[in-house]
Amino acid sequence: MRVTSVIHFKDGRAPLMSILRGFLILVLFFLLGESLRLVFLVPVSGGILGLMMLTLYLMVTGGVSKPVASASQALISVLILLIMPGLTEIFFISGKFTGQWLAVSVSLLVGTFLSVVTTLVLLNVLARKLPSGSNNHE
Amino acid sequence: MNSSLTVWERLLTLSQVLADTPMLAIAMTILAFFAANRVYIAIGRPVWLPPVVPAAAILAGMIALLGLDPDSYREGANWLMLLLGPATVALGVPLYQNIHHIRAMLWPIVLTLPIAASLAVLYTLVIAWALGASPTVMASLAPKSVTAAIALGIGDIIGSSVPMLMAALLITGVFTTLCVEVATRLLKITDERVIGFALGLNGHAIGTVRAFEISSTAGAFSSLGMSLTGLFTALLLPVLFNL
Repeated sequence: MRVTSVIHFKDGRAPLMSILRGFLILVLFFLLGESLRLVFLVPVSGGILGLMMLTLYLMVTGGVSKPVASASQALISVLILLIMPGLTEIFFISGKFTGQWLAVSVSLLVGTFLSVVTTLVLLNVLARKLPSGSNNHE
Repeated sequence: MNSSLTVWERLLTLSQVLADTPMLAIAMTILAFFAANRVYIAIGRPVWLPPVVPAAAILAGMIALLGLDPDSYREGANWLMLLLGPATVALGVPLYQNIHHIRAMLWPIVLTLPIAASLAVLYTLVIAWALGASPTVMASLAPKSVTAAIALGIGDIIGSSVPMLMAALLITGVFTTLCVEVATRLLKITDERVIGFALGLNGHAIGTVRAFEISSTAGAFSSLGMSLTGLFTALLLPVLFNL
């Protein structure tokens, strides 16, 4: 299996044309995901469907081309940039749901803490109990 | 622009006029991103503070300082957020590169997913119900661990309030990164695969951003947790809310 790390790019910078070519492929997979969502009325976003299609495609073809690796690395490194605008809403939303905030904040905070602990413990225990998931060589 | 105003008056209304083009929102977002990077490094990258929080706080401060309408900012920023689609697809690359790790953990993941993703919904719903939350509030809290694009689709079906759903998603994402930080220390869990999966399953894209700061493997497991939770919850909630 070929493993080229996306996160640490070898020569430090990726040529723009290569990134653009990879970006085109990512956008095409996104459009494929959107098409699947709209044609088959799946309640899952085009991005997630595109992610799954791309992963399957890479598994079938058995390697990541340099353009796709560079474009993917570039986008993942600015993921925070794409999430920030939505997150600012927290600062402007308060006051819209007066009276429900106790229930909302307590249930979110306590519920999230419990489910984080559940996930960590469950997967950690199962990973030890079932050391090798695949019966083949590991 | 109104020519009957003085230069000074035109200057004062400039930010509102520029807000009509998405460029102002895009410039502000990128500026806040770099400013937050500096601030985050300057305060020594504290583990209790996910870097998206100072980034969003600086951005919100800029919006408030310029006196912009948050809605008009968001309209402009939507142009930037279009990239979230291909960026989500891009997560397939680290996922594929870590496929051997995932194969090795296939059964633990297959068993953990339905249990943990259901409990992520149920814990919060039961607590909210006990505290007297209204049906709309419950429907807005239920998809809290699902990545935004999928959560909005679920919200449509089960009758969520969109602003409250978005707030629940964001609070959950940020708080997940904190909880994972604290819980892994208490429980002495160091397996990056487990930490990554917990970040993605509970904290969707915000958790995944944090996971990529840990390592590419944690990021891959977080992407996997985020995708599978999105799929599973999209199937679970419409059924649950029909009962």
